[in-house]
Amino acid sequence: MSAAAEAHEHHGPPPIHYSSRVSPAILGMFLFIASEIMLFGSFFTVYFFDRVVNKPFGGQWPPPPFQRPVFVAGVNTLILVTSSFTMHWAGSSIKKGNRAGLRAGLLLTFLLGLTFLLTQIIEYHRIGFNTSDTSFAATFFGLTGLHGAHVFVGLTILGVMTVRAFRGHFSPEHHQGVELGGIYWHFVDVMWIVVYVTVYLL
Amino acid sequence: MRNPLRSEADAFRFVLLTLVYFGLIVIGSLISTWVGLGVFVVLTVGAAWWVFRALVH
Repeated sequence: MSAAAEAHEHHGPPPIHYSSRVSPAILGMFLFIASEIMLFGSFFTVYFFDRVVNKPFGGQWPPPPFQRPVFVAGVNTLILVTSSFTMHWAGSSIKKGNRAGLRAGLLLTFLLGLTFLLTQIIEYHRIGFNTSDTSFAATFFGLTGLHGAHVFVGLTILGVMTVRAFRGHFSPEHHQGVELGGIYWHFVDVMWIVVYVTVYLL
Repeated sequence: MRNPLRSEADAFRFVLLTLVYFGLIVIGSLISTWVGLGVFVVLTVGAAWWVFRALVH
């Protein structure tokens, strides 16, 4: 082996080439969320199509006798928005080296998310209609159910993050797991605001 | 233009902006459907203009 080749000898895989200013993990999450927005977009398209085209009762929405649980969903909205604040508290805490704040923030976010999901499940049982009862019911359960599935995924991520936080895996220098999970949780929150306003309020 | 989902803190700011955007639309639509529509158009055009300016600069 020549001297030049020895000088450039490198063990392990070649160094990663970044073609973007954004780190691969953040870029991956960004692309994932972009695909999720398209998925939600398709569901919203169905919902608005149904709402505009299907006007069997003189444009009344929702068509009688359906009633949307606006108040309970409003309380649920407050719960989910609060969980974004606690998530942000957790993210800010670890940047300052405050591990107790990180743990408390993540635990509170998890509990608030769980409360949201359980409330939605209970509301499904009490709502009085099912997916097969007209296209309104189908789109209602489709959109809120799709969001609920995302909350479930978010809770799974939050659960892992919380366990890791209690095991001391995060530090002010290394907390990308909190960043990525936090971005996803905020996305879930944004989608709920859109769902709540369009499906329940307007 | 800065990616609104670059970090957890940026995503949190995006949540707050979404709250304000939809909050104003709901308040407008409570007054009247047309006011709500007007608020929606003004806010959406404003947001699009802001994004366009940020992309150009």
